[in-house]
Order: sequence, then C-alpha cells, then structure tokens
Amino acid sequence: MLAIVVSFYVAWNIGANDAANSMATSYGSRALTLKQIIFVCAILEFLGASIYGKNVVKTIAKGIVPIETLDPHFVVYGMIAALLSAGLWITIATYLHLPISTTHSIVGAVLGFGVAAVSQKHLELSMINWAEVSRIALSWLVSPIAGATLAFTIFYAIRFLLFQRFGVESVERVFRYLQVFTACYVAFAHGSNDVANAVAPLAPIFGRTLEGYYEIPREILIFGGIGIAAGVATWGYRVIKMVGENITQLTFSRGFSAEFATATTVLSASTLGLPISTTHTLVGSVIGVGLAGGLTSVNIKVVQKIIFSWILTLPITMLLSIGVYTVMVVFL
Amino acid sequence: MRFFRSVGEIFGYSPFKPLVEHAILCGRAVGLLQKQFEAYKRSDFPAVEKLRDEIDELESEADKIKGEIRTKVSRSLMLPVDRHDLLEFLKVQDEIINNCEHVGHMLTFRKVKIKESLFAEFEVLLSKIMECANEYEGMIAHVQKLIETSFDKREVEKVIEHVEEVERLEHVCDMIQIGLHTTLFNSEDLHPLDVHIMEAWVVHLGYIANAIARAADRFRLMLQSR
Repeated sequence: MLAIVVSFYVAWNIGANDAANSMATSYGSRALTLKQIIFVCAILEFLGASIYGKNVVKTIAKGIVPIETLDPHFVVYGMIAALLSAGLWITIATYLHLPISTTHSIVGAVLGFGVAAVSQKHLELSMINWAEVSRIALSWLVSPIAGATLAFTIFYAIRFLLFQRFGVESVERVFRYLQVFTACYVAFAHGSNDVANAVAPLAPIFGRTLEGYYEIPREILIFGGIGIAAGVATWGYRVIKMVGENITQLTFSRGFSAEFATATTVLSASTLGLPISTTHTLVGSVIGVGLAGGLTSVNIKVVQKIIFSWILTLPITMLLSIGVYTVMVVFL
Repeated sequence: MRFFRSVGEIFGYSPFKPLVEHAILCGRAVGLLQKQFEAYKRSDFPAVEKLRDEIDELESEADKIKGEIRTKVSRSLMLPVDRHDLLEFLKVQDEIINNCEHVGHMLTFRKVKIKESLFAEFEVLLSKIMECANEYEGMIAHVQKLIETSFDKREVEKVIEHVEEVERLEHVCDMIQIGLHTTLFNSEDLHPLDVHIMEAWVVHLGYIANAIARAADRFRLMLQSR
C-alpha cells in the first residue's frame, strides 16, 4: 500500500515537472495553447507509459539487482526503500529547484538497495549487473550529446535547405503544424521512458509469479501513466506556463528541431530499455539548435548545474536507499 | 510558486531586443535635437530648455538599457555574435545619444541672435544628421529578420547596404561642417563668444554623425566576424 502511494506520488511529480518541462517549448513558441498542451500531453504521456514503458521498467526492476536470487521479502523491502529514497530526494530537489533527474534518482536508489544487500551478505558484489549499470551510466552521457547532434543536424538542414529556398515565413507556417506533432511525440517518448522511474519498483512487488519469476504487469504501467497524466493536469500546467513564458526566442522550426531530436533520442533509449533523463536530453537538443545558429542566447551555466546535480543525485539516493533498506531488514 | 524543477533557464538572456530599443532612443534624441534648434531659431528659450530635459530623459533611459545589457550578457551565454563585438557596438551606439545630450546642453549656455543665412547652414547640417540617423534605424530594423533567418547572407547584405549609405551621409555631414567652420571663422561681425559657442555646436554635431557611422561600422563588423 505504501509502495503504491509513493509510486503514485513519484509519477505525479514526474508529470508535474519533467513532462511539463518537456512541453514548455511547445508553449514557448505558441504552437499550441496551454489547454491543448495539457490535453495532448496527458493523453500521450499515458499512452507512451502504458504501451511502450515496459522495456525500461524491466531494466530498473531486474536489470540492475538480480532480484530472482534474493528472498522475495528482501526484494519487496528493497523496492520500497528505493521508492521512498527516490521520492524523498525528488521532493527535496524540487523544493530547492535543482534540475535533477528522476531517472538518476531511481537508478541510484535501486543500486543502493543492491549494495545494501551485498553488505548484508545476501548477494555477492559481482552479482550486481555492473555491465548494465555502466551501460546506463554511459547512456546518460550519450543521450544529451545525441540530442544535441540530432537537433543541430535538423536545424542546420532547415536553415540551409528550407529557409534559403522558401523564405522564413512560409517555412515557419508549415512547422507550426509539425510542432504539434513533435509535442505529441515528446509526450509519448517521455511517458515511455520515465514511467519506469515511478513504477519499476512496483513490478517485483506485484509481478512475482508462482514459479518465482518476475513479470511486468501491464496494470502498473497503466497506473504510472495515470499518475503522470494527473501530475500534468493538476500541477504541470503551472510549470509549463512559467517555463514557457520565459522562452521567447523559439520559433516553430526551432521548437520542432529541439523536440524532434529529444523525442527520437528518448524513444530510442526506451526501445533499448535504457532509462535516461528527458529533460537533460532536451537541454542537449536546445544547445544543438543554438550551435546551429538557431537561438539568440543559450545559457551554458545550466549544463554546470546539471552536472552538479548528477554528482549529487547518485550518492544521495544510494545512501538513502541503503539506510532505509537496512532499517527495514533489521526491524521488520 | 516554490515546488518545481526546471531546465527552462537554458534559454538565456537575449540582448537583441534591448539593443533595438536603445537604437530607437538614439534616433528619437536626434529628432528632439532638431526640434531644439528650431526653438532656438524662434528664440523660444523655455522650449529649448524643455527639449534639453527631454533629451536628458531619453539619455538616462538609454543608459539603463545599456547597463542591463552589460550586466546580463555574461560569459556563460552562447550568443550568435561575439560577446565582445556586441558590447563594443553597444558602447559606440551609446555615444550617439551621449553626444545628443551634450549638444542639447550647449544650446542653453548662451543666447545668440543668429543671422538667417548662418542658421540655414545649421539646418542643413541637422537635416543631414537626421537623414543619417533614419538610415541607421533602417539598418537596425533588420535585427528581427536577421534573427529569424539565423543571419542569412542575403539579410546581412541588406544591412551592409544601409551601412554604406550611413557612411556616405556622414561624409556629407563632414563637408557641411567644413563649410560651417569656414563661415564661422570668417564672420568678423560676430561676437567672438558667439563664434566660440557655435563652433562647439558644429564640432559636437559632427560627433553625433560620427558616432552613428562608427556604430553602423561596428554593427557590420559584428555580423561579418561571426
């Protein structure tokens, strides 16, 4: 029960902040009205989560810690500990306006649970899937760069193939409609990747088969999708409005480039089962558009802030999770 | 609203709109200066002083914009033009309005009864400076389009045409100034102090035209060294 509540809260927070950040560019260029964005975003986040969220859930739920070799009770404790830690850190970071990633939080927390299990001799250190952990860590580095490269290429092509041939006004007019498509694309991609941050720990709690295997019940994906959609609808609109109103330099073609690059990167990661940060990828994509000469001002300082919160998030969520898990094992 | 996380800050401060606003203030100051000379011609000295104050106000407004741009364009911003070029351009553009302010004050220092023929020469100079300023504003009006097209070559070429026209007009102003100086220094019938103050006007009016031309040149340089 506790797990469900915390999971819903994390999903809500993801909808309220991360989904909203991803949609703010659509509001910034005024491709859609706020109401349209909320509507489109809630529906497509839900669809992305419930249809395409499984791969990433699988990675976080059982790709890092070999839960099948552990006592099911410890697995439940571990997953609850991970959820609580991630939820707590996300709350603190949100309050402090730190641009942390919920993805990094949950991965750190689950890894913390694994390390705690090792320290209590329930697991060998080598049993933790370090190959998968490093693959995930690498993807965190690669995803913003991929976003930047893709966005750079797209906007560069728009600039030299379309602007020069057809003139800026007519090109922008077409991209107004295309940006509606990319807004949906981003919401779907975001849902498919980030739902795992909230519901992956539920999978081992509810998905254990009689034979002792763990499956990913579709219901938890739907549950996560609802949580995210609720976050968008009840709080996300404020974030979209606030962030979007400060984005004055985005035209439709530039918004399209950043969004298309972000969504493609994130959806590819979802296909590969890699949990990545959508907002960090978006930052990479915006820089890509800037490098292609599309923006009048890009604040590189944000990159520093992101790296800082990266370095902060992993140890903090790991330590929190180790602490909560140990307490649960000792006292329950 | 306290409870949020955002990466929206990635979109940094854009100095271009304020730059355009600053340029428009410069153009308006030149216009007011022209009016101030008209008032002087009518010997309407209260109006002269009133216009001086209006120019002062524009100047302090421009100063605020300049200050804002200078503090907000930090090194962590990735701009489509060189930061140093941009600030240098702004500095020269600001000299336009600063010199307008100087002349505005100089007109209140001494009440001179000026001959019709001599004043006509001043009027020619002022209208040329105004023309120069209008051409400059025409150049600045391209900023929006430059940004939309990500500094498309054709757009840059249009700007350069304006710059060349500004430079031509500035040269015409120079010629008129030379004529005025010659007239002034050969007016034996004038009081030496009258000659002195009017000579100061001519010199500083020249500075205005000069600042317009140099700002245009800086603008061109900023675009070309991208």
